[in-house]
Formats: sequence, structure tokens, C-alpha cells
Amino acid sequence: MSESAYSLQESIKQLPGNIKESVFRREGGTPEQEQAAAIFGNVFLHLHPARVHINSLRLSYTYGLGLISFFLFLLLTASGVLLMFYYTPATQLAYRNMKDLEYVVSFGIVLRNVHRWSAHAMVAFVFLHMCRVFYTGSYKAPREFNWIIGVCLLLLTLFLSFTGYLLPWDQLAFWAITVGSNIAAYTPWIGDSVRFLMLGGNEVGQMALLRFYVLHVALLPLVAVVLLAVHFWRIRKDGGLSRPQNS
Amino acid sequence: MSHEKEEIFPRDPNKTYSLMTIVDGDSFQVEHGPDDTLLSWPHLMVRELLLFLLVFVVILGVSLLFNAPLEEAANPLHSTNPAKAPWYFVGIQELVSYSAFLGGIVAPVLIVLSLLLLPYLDRNPKGVGVWFSADRKLATFLFSIFVIAMIILILIGQFVRGPNWALYWPWM
Ligand code: HEM
Repeated sequence: MSESAYSLQESIKQLPGNIKESVFRREGGTPEQEQAAAIFGNVFLHLHPARVHINSLRLSYTYGLGLISFFLFLLLTASGVLLMFYYTPATQLAYRNMKDLEYVVSFGIVLRNVHRWSAHAMVAFVFLHMCRVFYTGSYKAPREFNWIIGVCLLLLTLFLSFTGYLLPWDQLAFWAITVGSNIAAYTPWIGDSVRFLMLGGNEVGQMALLRFYVLHVALLPLVAVVLLAVHFWRIRKDGGLSRPQNS
Repeated sequence: MSHEKEEIFPRDPNKTYSLMTIVDGDSFQVEHGPDDTLLSWPHLMVRELLLFLLVFVVILGVSLLFNAPLEEAANPLHSTNPAKAPWYFVGIQELVSYSAFLGGIVAPVLIVLSLLLLPYLDRNPKGVGVWFSADRKLATFLFSIFVIAMIILILIGQFVRGPNWALYWPWM
């Protein structure tokens, strides 16, 4: 609104438009401009290009496997935050919290199921996504480095899943992590130290539970979010998804 | 007099995009560009949204039907027999049962290292953008061996290993 022609009535009339502009940071344009701006004018969507190649939209090319992995990650974050309201990382309480989720908290069991099944599914889909990328040769120049980011994401997915596995503190959890940390202890020379670092002790106990919890709800998800941002940004910088040369 | 056509918008070979031309019009691409592209909104976003809904519905459906396992409270004095790692590590555990060091340390480290180095080991530039390209039969073959071996090891560890990690046929 121009300063010279200030009038109370005018300014009130323009208010809705002003608010809209202040939120979306743009004035109206042609429909096509608006559609493009819907992508690049939005902090959440601007990792997408405003236009995509039709090959990237072919379901039979990607099978949406990377996207499915990402959506599972979102579901895991949402259900995980809700689970945190009901969970204490203490050996005397953790298992009881699980029982409370099952019998006391409304829909607590569904919440826990969503988190658990999404976690299993994510491991599987990230692996399938990796297979897709391999079999389509999509790790070749200029996408070499994004493949490496991907491998780090695969390892993170495994660690996230593994650290979460201990948290219910039932027999399944306890002995699976005991087996897992014993495998790490086969490292030559420093094996026992590796296990000690992992568990905060020589056996799975309170310290291990706390360590796994902190890794599971804070450190690993943060690293994953950063790497995911780099992963998606690189797809764009590398010229969008791979596609056959002639197209 | 120069016969070269004057380039107003020189192409930078280092970039995947360049300014092609300026046209009068009311959209970014008045006519079809030289490439086959579509606007991300709505074409890509709508698909992504639908896929998200599908994933959500399937997970919710599964979660309403099947409960996540929860056994007895942890008891450090009573080990389960067999004690199994989560299914994605059970293949490694199966290898460990043959040789702790080779299966538990060497194999995983080799797998991770070869995955990390893969783009620099496979220097063949051909066969990008198509599934199972005929130009890279060897790569496809080798990777498939890795995938199939992983799956078989996981299946063995998960389903046919009983107490003391002895072979055990679930239907017997
Ligand atoms: C948390 C795990 C991961 C997530 C959420 C993720 C997500 C994605 C998404 C959404 C895409 C776009 C194409 C598509 O949907 O397929 C993509 C592409 C890609 N991903 Fe991943 N990814 C993950 C792990 C991996 C892994 C384990 C690798 C390989 C080791 C990898 C390597 C790549 C490469 C090279 C591309 C580009 C593919 C192309 O240009 O065709 N990613 N990723």
C-alpha cells in the first residue's frame, strides 16, 4: 500500500490481501507462475524443482521406493514423538510403560504398532531403494556422492532400528542387543572396548538403555534429517533423477 | 565480418541449466521447451501426496490387525534360546556361527566398504537410467549374488535356526 494515499478505509480493505502476501511472499501471477511459485516459494517444497522430467514421474522407474522410505521416516518421527510422552528410559519402568501403552493409553497399542511396523518396513524399503538405484545404474557420474550419502543413510536406518529394538526392555530386546553387542566385541584388539563404549558397561543394563535411548531419539534422527536434506538437495543439483541418455 | 552466429546467452558446460531465450508471454515456458518436463505442482506433488496416503493407510491397516511383539520383561539371568538379533542382522549372526571374526567383523566391513566405494570401482559410464541394462550384465550379476546371499542368510537365520543355533525345521 502506498504511503501517500493512506486512508484508514483503504488500508482495511487491503488487509486480507496484505496478510496473504505476507504469508506467501508473492503477489498473484498467471496460473502457471502461481503453480511454479507454489513449489519454489515454499520452504518445505523448494527442494523440488519447479518442473520435473516425465521420466521421474514413471512409477515403473523408481517404484517410489525412496519416497516410501522417506514417508516411513515421517511416520516414525510422528509416532515416535507421541511414544516419548509415555516412555521412560529406566530399566524398572520401560517394560511397564509398554504394558501401559497396551492396556491403559487410548490407542496406545496402535501407536506402538505403527512405530514398530514402520521401522521394519523402512529397513526393507531403504534396501529395496538401494537395489533400484543399483540396477538402474543411477550411482554413476555425477551421482557418485549421492550414493555414498545413501549408504550412510542405510547405516543410519539400521542403527536407528537397532537402538530402538532395546527400548521395550523385554526378553526379545535384551537378548537381541546382547547378541548384537557381542558381535561388535569380536573386533580384534579393541573389541571389548567397542562393546563397553556401546553399552556403557560390560553388559546390557541401565547405562546401555540410556545410551540407546539418547541415540535413538536425539542424535541419530538429527543426523538422519541432515543427511536426508543433503540427499534430496543433491538429487536436484545432479540434474534430477537419472534417465536414459536419449530422452 | 564474422560468420559466427552471435551467442547472446552462452551455454556454460558446467551447468545443467542455461538461459535459452527470452520470449514474450505470460508463463515460464510459452511453448514446449526442448525437454519433456511437467510442472511439479500439481503433477509431482499430487502423486507424492497419494503415495503418502497409501503408505499411511497400509501401515495403519497392518497396525490395527497385528500387534508388535512384546515378550516377558527382560531377565539378564535367563537367556532365551536361541537369542536372535533383529532380522536385518540375523544374516550376519548366521555368518558369525561359522566364524565369529570373519562373519561378524570382516564380512560387514567388506560389505560397507564395497558399497561406499562402488561408484569409484564401477567406472563403466554406460547403462544409466534403464533397469538391468544390457551394457552392465556383470555388475547386475555380481550385485544380485550379494542380494540373494543376504536374503538366503536372513531366511536361514530367521526360520531354520533353533535352540543352540542348531538347524531346526519349523514344520517338524
Ligand atoms: C533413509 C533412507 C533413504 C531415503 C529416505 C532416500 C530417499 C530418496 C528419494 C526420495 C529419492 C528420489 C527417487 C526415488 O524416490 O527413488 C532418492 C534418490 C536416490 N537415492 Fe536415496 N534414499 C535413502 C537411502 C538411499 C540409499 C541407501 C542409497 C544407496 C546406497 C541411496 C541412493 C540414492 C541415489 C543415488 C538417488 C538418485 C537416484 C537417481 O538419480 O535415479 N539412497 N533417495
